[in-house]
Amino acid sequence: MSKTIRVLIAKPGLDGHDRGALVVAQALRDYGMEVIYTGLRQTPEQIVASAIQEDVDAIGLSCLSGAHNELFPEITRLLGERGAEDIIVVGGGVIPWEDIPFLESKGIRKIFTPGTPTVDTAKFIEKAVAERDGTAINVPMTERPERIDHIGIAVTSLDEALPFYVNVLGLKLEAVEEVAEQGVKVAFLKIGESKIELLEPTDSSSAVAKFIEKRGEGIHHVALGVTDINKRIDELKENGVQMIHDKAVKGAGGADIAFLHPSSTRKVLFELCEKKKGDS
Amino acid sequence: MQQRYEEWKRKTEALMEKFPERKKEFTTSSDIHIERLYGPSEDGYEYDKLGLPGEYPFTRGIQPTMYRARHWTMRQYAGFGSAEETNHRFRYLLQQGQTGLSVAFDLPTQIGYDSDHAMAKGEVGKVGVAIDSLEDMEALLKDIPLDRVSTSMTINAPAAVLLAMYIAVAEKQGVPSEKISGTIQNDILKEYIARGTYIFPPKPSMRLITDIFAYCKDFVPKWNTISISGYHIREAGSNAVQELAFTIANGLAYVDAAIEAGLNIDEFAPRLAFFFNAHNDFFEEAAKFRAARRIWARFMKETYGAKNPKSWQLRFHTQTGGSTLTAQQPDNNIVRVTLQALAAVLGGTQSLHTNSRDEALALPTEDSARIALRTQQIIAHESGVADTVDPLAGSYYVESLTDSLEEKALEYIQKIKELGGAVSAVEQGYMQREIHHTSYETQKEIEKGSQVIVGMNSFMLENEVQPELLRVDPSLGEKQKTKLEALRAGRDHDRASAQLEKLRQTARSERNLMPVILECVKSYCTVGEICGILREEFGEYRGI
Repeated sequence: MSKTIRVLIAKPGLDGHDRGALVVAQALRDYGMEVIYTGLRQTPEQIVASAIQEDVDAIGLSCLSGAHNELFPEITRLLGERGAEDIIVVGGGVIPWEDIPFLESKGIRKIFTPGTPTVDTAKFIEKAVAERDGTAINVPMTERPERIDHIGIAVTSLDEALPFYVNVLGLKLEAVEEVAEQGVKVAFLKIGESKIELLEPTDSSSAVAKFIEKRGEGIHHVALGVTDINKRIDELKENGVQMIHDKAVKGAGGADIAFLHPSSTRKVLFELCEKKKGDS
Repeated sequence: MQQRYEEWKRKTEALMEKFPERKKEFTTSSDIHIERLYGPSEDGYEYDKLGLPGEYPFTRGIQPTMYRARHWTMRQYAGFGSAEETNHRFRYLLQQGQTGLSVAFDLPTQIGYDSDHAMAKGEVGKVGVAIDSLEDMEALLKDIPLDRVSTSMTINAPAAVLLAMYIAVAEKQGVPSEKISGTIQNDILKEYIARGTYIFPPKPSMRLITDIFAYCKDFVPKWNTISISGYHIREAGSNAVQELAFTIANGLAYVDAAIEAGLNIDEFAPRLAFFFNAHNDFFEEAAKFRAARRIWARFMKETYGAKNPKSWQLRFHTQTGGSTLTAQQPDNNIVRVTLQALAAVLGGTQSLHTNSRDEALALPTEDSARIALRTQQIIAHESGVADTVDPLAGSYYVESLTDSLEEKALEYIQKIKELGGAVSAVEQGYMQREIHHTSYETQKEIEKGSQVIVGMNSFMLENEVQPELLRVDPSLGEKQKTKLEALRAGRDHDRASAQLEKLRQTARSERNLMPVILECVKSYCTVGEICGILREEFGEYRGI
């Protein structure tokens, strides 16, 4: 960790159940954070004052009495009022699922329901702080993507497009393959450790056909070569990325692939692509 | 065993003329006759360690016939929102065959604030019913015959106030205080250790408790004046031995305080009750209840010289372990609760609350609360486990566990004694630290997966269906405020302030506080006003 993250664990309201608060406080300490515990029966004003005075990065609120809908938003409101809205607020306790969207709309960044491993809470806070500070997240859960595996380009006809790539650009055609599940015929052209993948729709209802219909021919997607694809999908989902594929599916060349939804990636269609050793 | 057994049998049969068993004869499904009691027929019976049921040291239970005479009291803890809503739920539960009431109060009531106090914001009616004045208590108990129903009230720091209100409502119903029965939790030490709803520092808190003991022995003789609670100690993360040891140690501290206040042990000890948790480890839990009875009986008889056998008996209520419930796959909780409830029954509990499946998510819905009650009814009426007394006795495993739990608990109790007793140990944070240590170790084991929690860290589901949950009216805080304003405007103002002033003077003296608190509630002084005066006189505990 580049800097030590400071967290205030707080018990707003009158609820006396502090087992969870104490366990989370200890777990965050063991993770390497500095933790201040307020003790029981804190008013929102007291919590906000302590947070500002202690100059914390994050506040963890615990409430098991059902008063969360009143107390948690009051804390984010007061933080805003004092110009301390950069303090990240998370919460936990006996909180019905249906209340979570409301709390999130009030600026509570995340609600950890019963059964959440404490390490998830620690990692969430660490990431949120890094994002806020614009610092790189230096503890990725999985290996970083290794390379650009390929760039996908949508074409109406491989026969018409290929002569340009092979004869004019001078790239080497490796293989042509039909991927029935995706409704495409694919041509691979090798360039260094990466490839260009030309995609011709074979089915008018396929994603590539629709892409061409909407936007014409052109760059369709960027594929990142990764390892441990399913774990990476989970990690992306945890970070709020919407996936087109929640689990890896089979793509061209026998690779495991999954697409990220462009709404989560500033409109670029990204693909994760994992090739088993020995695959070319 | 023969001779003592014959004697026991004669005595028990004589008793049965007054308290008959549920059936003339008990049999299994194959028509095998079920004896009241099983044990070795030779001389090998360990009288010192086990005793016969209803006899010292009560390892096998406090009554000779146990559930063959009467099942345990099925007492579901309930309360939410307004007094009227809770009264509706109570009447529903009684109609469904529940045999006793158990009142949950909201946090402002438990901490002695009126619903319109700034600290009460967001909390009114959330975890229990909001009671500000006698008026609310009247609504809570409307049309419930207080001479026939026993009522348990989970109230600690302001226990004297709520008991006074109950007495006042009974009087209005024409039921004298000698006839009412029930329990107040009134166990402040475990509030400091584990539950958190304390108000005053330990010393005045202990005085309030012994004042209640003294008052009830004369005026409310059928009331259990305290329910010494291991439940919350366990919920805070302790293990079974710590639950057992810390609860007994707290119990001994109350006994010491009462003796110091000039009471005779046999005047108050028969009204002490206990409250334990029924957790997951089935045999250990059943053994824990057996060990608890034995430890307490020995302390009362041998250390304190109590003469009345009722003083030796540890009577207890049990609730299944709330913290064992998972938010994931909530229906699985029904199975957990069944096993936990069974352990409590096999351990000889006097009353039982079974948790509802949805309590890791919210307060239970009416459907969930009904299933929880049905769980007890199935154990009582279908499983046959209630047809003989202490059926686990003599199991090598259970007897060995009972001995080990007793031994380890006594080590802790000795350690607490060396720290100056439970009050002093609490002030030093000793129990709190021990519990936190165990609780954190448990969490780490769960996260490593070495402790399997079905549906949570193993056997998970991808897409869980989210159940219907109970919601408490969020406008209740406002409604209680309006009610309070009307109450304060409509009551005899001079009478109320005169009683509050008397309360202040009594708090400064050494006189018993109960009579003046009763006068205050009858004058419609509020919980917040009464506790407010006591706060000013006694100060507030701030935690450590």
